Amino acid sequence: MADNIFAEIYNKILGFFGQNVKDESKNTAVNRLRLVLMQDRTNLTPEIMNRMRTELIAVLSKYVELDKEALDLNIGQEGEQMALMLSIPVIRAKDEAEIEEAIKKEEEAKKASDDAEDETVEAEDTEDEEENSEDASEESSEINEEENKENEENTEETTEETSEPSEEQYSEEEPTSPPEETKVDESVKKSIPKIEKHKKEENTEE
Amino acid sequence: MTGRVIVITSGKGGVGKTTTNANIGTALARAGKKVVMVDTDLGLRNLDLLLGLENRIVYTIVDVVEERCKLKQALVKDKKNPNLCLLAAAQTRDKSAVTEEQLKDICDQLKEKFDFVLVDCPAGIEQGFQNAVAGASEAIVVTTPEMSAVRDADRIIGLLEAKEEIKSYKLLINRYRPNMAASKDMMSKDDVVEILSAELLGIIPEDTGIITSTNKGEPIVNDDDSLAGRAYRNVAQRIIGEDVPLIDFEEEAKLTNKIKKFFSKFLNKGKEN
Repeated sequence: MADNIFAEIYNKILGFFGQNVKDESKNTAVNRLRLVLMQDRTNLTPEIMNRMRTELIAVLSKYVELDKEALDLNIGQEGEQMALMLSIPVIRAKDEAEIEEAIKKEEEAKKASDDAEDETVEAEDTEDEEENSEDASEESSEINEEENKENEENTEETTEETSEPSEEQYSEEEPTSPPEETKVDESVKKSIPKIEKHKKEENTEE
Repeated sequence: MTGRVIVITSGKGGVGKTTTNANIGTALARAGKKVVMVDTDLGLRNLDLLLGLENRIVYTIVDVVEERCKLKQALVKDKKNPNLCLLAAAQTRDKSAVTEEQLKDICDQLKEKFDFVLVDCPAGIEQGFQNAVAGASEAIVVTTPEMSAVRDADRIIGLLEAKEEIKSYKLLINRYRPNMAASKDMMSKDDVVEILSAELLGIIPEDTGIITSTNKGEPIVNDDDSLAGRAYRNVAQRIIGEDVPLIDFEEEAKLTNKIKKFFSKFLNKGKEN
């Protein structure tokens, strides 16, 4: 009891000389407000943030094995400026061979997707001539749309899909993350066999 | 004569737009300016109550728009000050009864005859806001030092900046509690100004007198002893273009806080003994 009384008097004396001992809730308000206004002023919706997160994971996964669950992407403040705060827990750095392989796979995938786009145009042109290609052209126009929208994303993720088994686990883990990501993955999965199909068609045409 | 059309807006409801409108309008009229207040809060009109003119309204802004009367007929003169007029909102209609063009037209006509046209904006950022802003070239953004009000003010400022017709906007911090700001239990005026990075027009302290003055239908600026009244008169002077320094409520509050603490220390000691 006596302690409490002394502490109280001590605080009061400090308070009298203008020093603050208690929590200053206005600082909390100012900080929370700054953050929320930054989000309000930019158009970074949670969906866009999620998408950014997914794409970042795809890029970074080429070089390091990271803890996708714990990756944290937030808007914050650095002095006067808005800042994106990214915290990436790294499980292990990949060795050179792995990185090279990932980059190679990515380039191949890019090539494949470019070919697929060319294919789409051709397929549409020859639609009347070939009855069989009707389904294919419908599908390929789907791919085309997707790839126009999500070109980068697709190529990067395709790399992962087709590379080492550890990478494949990543896409299986996906259900824990937002539905948008899984959608993208599905489209990529679908698009791979289609691309192969078109290549075959090309060969037979020739 | 070409008067100034100033819209008084806030985003959030309940921060004191209408009170601000009534008091600034009255203060400007007391300073000898010809003032008309336009209530655009269709369906939720209150400016008439704050001015004590609710029993004198015959025609409203909707009657003017729908040509049931001339604009001049719809203007209600204040009880005390012949320089002050009110164009009331319709209570029975909604926001769609008047369009942006119609409001702009009314404001254009009014500014030919008055020094100041003060437009009272409804809360929100929907059509009512768009209508109210349509005829104005200046804006007063009313906020309180609370998070929700500041956030909404930021949104409103964003919308005002996007409007070409709005040449300038200024911030009015209402319901300020210098005691709480001094003890850092509430955001200070500097915090609010810094966060919104807007020019400050004035600070109105929280004052219980506002409630009693509303009860009586008599704006608090008419009370010469009231601190809030003094603050409103200063704001009006600044609008006219005079350089009136801000009242330093915080310094006063710090001093009273210290004195209170000093005495409570002895009072508490007495209780414990």
